[in-house]
Amino acid sequence: MSCLPRKLELFYDLLCPYSWLGFEILCRYQNIWNISLQLRPSFLAAIIMDSDMEEYREKVGGDQRIQVPTKGIYGFNSYLEKLRKQEYMKNELQYLGKFCQVPIEIPRDLRGVLIDKGSLNAMRFLTSVHIEYPEMLEKVSRELWMRIWSRDEDITEPWSIQAAAEEAGFSRKQAMSLLKKSSTEEVKNKLRENTNTAYKYGAFGLPTIVAHMDTKPCVFFSSDRIELLAHLLGEQWQGPVPQALKGKL
Amino acid sequence: MANLPRKLELFYDVLSPYSWLGFELLCRYQNIWNINLQLRPSFIPGILKDSGNKPPALVPRKGKYMMMDLQHLKNFYQVPIRIPKDFLTVILEKGSLNAMRFLTAVNMEKPEMLENVSRELWMRIWSRDEDITEPQSILAAAEKAGLSKEQAKSLLENSSTDKVKNKLKETTSAACNYGAFGLPTIVVHMDNKPCVIFGSDRMEMLAYLLGELESLSLSIIKTDIPCPTVLPTCQTYH
Repeated sequence: MSCLPRKLELFYDLLCPYSWLGFEILCRYQNIWNISLQLRPSFLAAIIMDSDMEEYREKVGGDQRIQVPTKGIYGFNSYLEKLRKQEYMKNELQYLGKFCQVPIEIPRDLRGVLIDKGSLNAMRFLTSVHIEYPEMLEKVSRELWMRIWSRDEDITEPWSIQAAAEEAGFSRKQAMSLLKKSSTEEVKNKLRENTNTAYKYGAFGLPTIVAHMDTKPCVFFSSDRIELLAHLLGEQWQGPVPQALKGKL
Repeated sequence: MANLPRKLELFYDVLSPYSWLGFELLCRYQNIWNINLQLRPSFIPGILKDSGNKPPALVPRKGKYMMMDLQHLKNFYQVPIRIPKDFLTVILEKGSLNAMRFLTAVNMEKPEMLENVSRELWMRIWSRDEDITEPQSILAAAEKAGLSKEQAKSLLENSSTDKVKNKLKETTSAACNYGAFGLPTIVVHMDNKPCVIFGSDRMEMLAYLLGELESLSLSIIKTDIPCPTVLPTCQTYH
């Protein structure tokens, strides 16, 4: 095919299991479809908070200072307060994990993992990897997901992040250097920038996929629009585990 | 196939465009997959209230996204959705209570007509931007679906009885008891327990759970597997 590869941006956060599903599916297709997949580590809590704030502003009107209700850290509580959704998510992920062949296991203390612990350090680390060793971003992201969403292991402490980095193939020295860099303004700003970019595209959650089509970018929320995306790209959808990979998984 | 058909309950409200997508997809596959599709007219405000959830359209970004999403999906799934001009009034002020009561009455008296009447009501609200709240609107949809004027009037009268109102409440409660927080909600009765699926975007996973992946047309464009003939093209919409 003589067409240039279509640019596809995947904005994701490790905290989000649906991001993992979207990530794995797109990674599988990146060498099958004529696409240039660009991973964009982002910060989900900020997107949710900004989205909630926007909603309150529209209700209140104008630029008045609003008392943000005590909804917990970054408004994430509003997402999980709805226990029914949480219960649904726990069930659904088991099926989706099997169907998509992604080894998702629900952490025992889901609320603790999502609300109390969060993913800020890990996302800053991935941003650091993105800046210094972009070719390693996929592997490190995967190893961190395996920790939090498959083995119910921590991803907030430095040694946890370092372990994932080494598992992905970094030397101890490289991992420590990247960790140190994570807390610099350069990395913090880059994470903010990625997150703001997703927000400007209209994101209200993650994963958000932005496909740069001929006329304009097409934005898709979550991991269940990839078949539709294939159709719009003129590519063939072979399910979440395409043929080329069936022997390898 | 020697296995008994799997029971699939579809809880839906005509106010929900995603319910329409799920409905059409399942109707297309009901004679292809080994399933027994049972339509369950429900009331979405009841589900939202019970679960503490809110309509996505009320979140500004979600509302904007939904408009765009539906434009893509209508083409992809070949369902002639058109966003009503005054979308928020239709959803929040006018609602669908009378229509869902009517569908409940149809389900009780003439269940074989439920699919057609549901479709005609969806065509009114979500394709031709027509009213579904007034008696004459509902009667028009019923007649278009194939009910006679007398049948339609009788069902409309039944709609306002306690029997029908309670039945709608009961169906809505059943969805809530399955853990629904929105519609469409699909409940697949598997061997060991019911499997609850929210939204119209889990059809492939559903096919996988049912062991029907081979008969699923993985892409609307792909032609290896013939497109189901139940309701494939827009020409059948009038």
